[in-house]
Amino acid sequence: MSAVDVDSDAQAMLKVAAGDRQAFAWLFDRYHASVARFAFRFVGDRERAEELTQDIFVKLYRHAGAYKPSARFKTFLFRVATNHCLNEVRRGEYRVSHTSSESPEGEETGAVEMAGPEGDRPDQALAGRELERAVGAALSDMSARERAAFTMCRFEGMAYRDIAEALEASEAAVKSLIHRATLAVARRIEELQAGAAPARSRA
Amino acid sequence: MSCGFEEDLTAYVDGELPPARRVEVEAHLGTCAGCRATHALLGNAVARLAELPAFEPSPHTRRAVLAKLDALPMPWWERLKVLLRPAVLVPSAGLAAALAVALLMAGPGVDAPPELADPAVMELAANLEVAEDYELLGLDSAEDLEVVANLHELEEMP
Repeated sequence: MSAVDVDSDAQAMLKVAAGDRQAFAWLFDRYHASVARFAFRFVGDRERAEELTQDIFVKLYRHAGAYKPSARFKTFLFRVATNHCLNEVRRGEYRVSHTSSESPEGEETGAVEMAGPEGDRPDQALAGRELERAVGAALSDMSARERAAFTMCRFEGMAYRDIAEALEASEAAVKSLIHRATLAVARRIEELQAGAAPARSRA
Repeated sequence: MSCGFEEDLTAYVDGELPPARRVEVEAHLGTCAGCRATHALLGNAVARLAELPAFEPSPHTRRAVLAKLDALPMPWWERLKVLLRPAVLVPSAGLAAALAVALLMAGPGVDAPPELADPAVMELAANLEVAEDYELLGLDSAEDLEVVANLHELEEMP
């Protein structure tokens, strides 16, 4: 993210803290897809991800006064998003439902509802769904912090330093979380490629 | 596999290692077949993850969020803005001033010792002092007074 982006995000957030709805709408348009992707990978369900995304942005608006311009806005946003998702999962409001590798036929989770690029051949689409299931199964076996760190790294391209700030953890801890998570996903993908039956979820 | 370099392999793939450690890992990869296999496994996974379609949120999300914001109770600073509008402030200030003068006229003389002052007058004076801090003399209800009395506390909240 460039310095210009950081400045404009920070300025917009300060306006939100003063009750400026237009500034909020601007930030929403800019970041809601990122938050939705994060929430989707966190809970593995489309509808729940939508609800979480809405709640996260409402929380962002309500607690805008807590934002300090010294922190990168995206980091602050993902801290809010991570805390909200962790709290919801802890409270039992949401169960992680990346159970696609074990779902009966036709009982597909949000993870496999996503369409690939138009024009995909059926065999490509099937391969994409299998990959999605393998990744989903690995995500469901991870700890919440591993899942959060992995998602920010792999799907948002965030630097370890920023992830550490969002998770309020050390960079060494984040490096370890991302390594364990990536290795778990890598093993699932390896099994998929080898044509072996995916290992059953430990949870 | 248990190798002192293994945990650095993902950071190496991600380009997150400091230059000196990166050189060490590269040298190690030339000598450790186990780490080479893990490195290949991780690299393959990162490449395959890029094939996953992105999750696209519903176009209705924006509308839903804005509707939820509309349903939120008005925050204290918005309520304060309402109280500070001239249309509210000026008549209330006049009323409060008239009330204060009337109470002082009806109360003990100016020479009366403070301990003989009417408690109601003392309470009003205390409240007016709080309100004057914020140039706010007109209060419509007990709730408004509570908001003003707690402003110091609210300003310190994160």
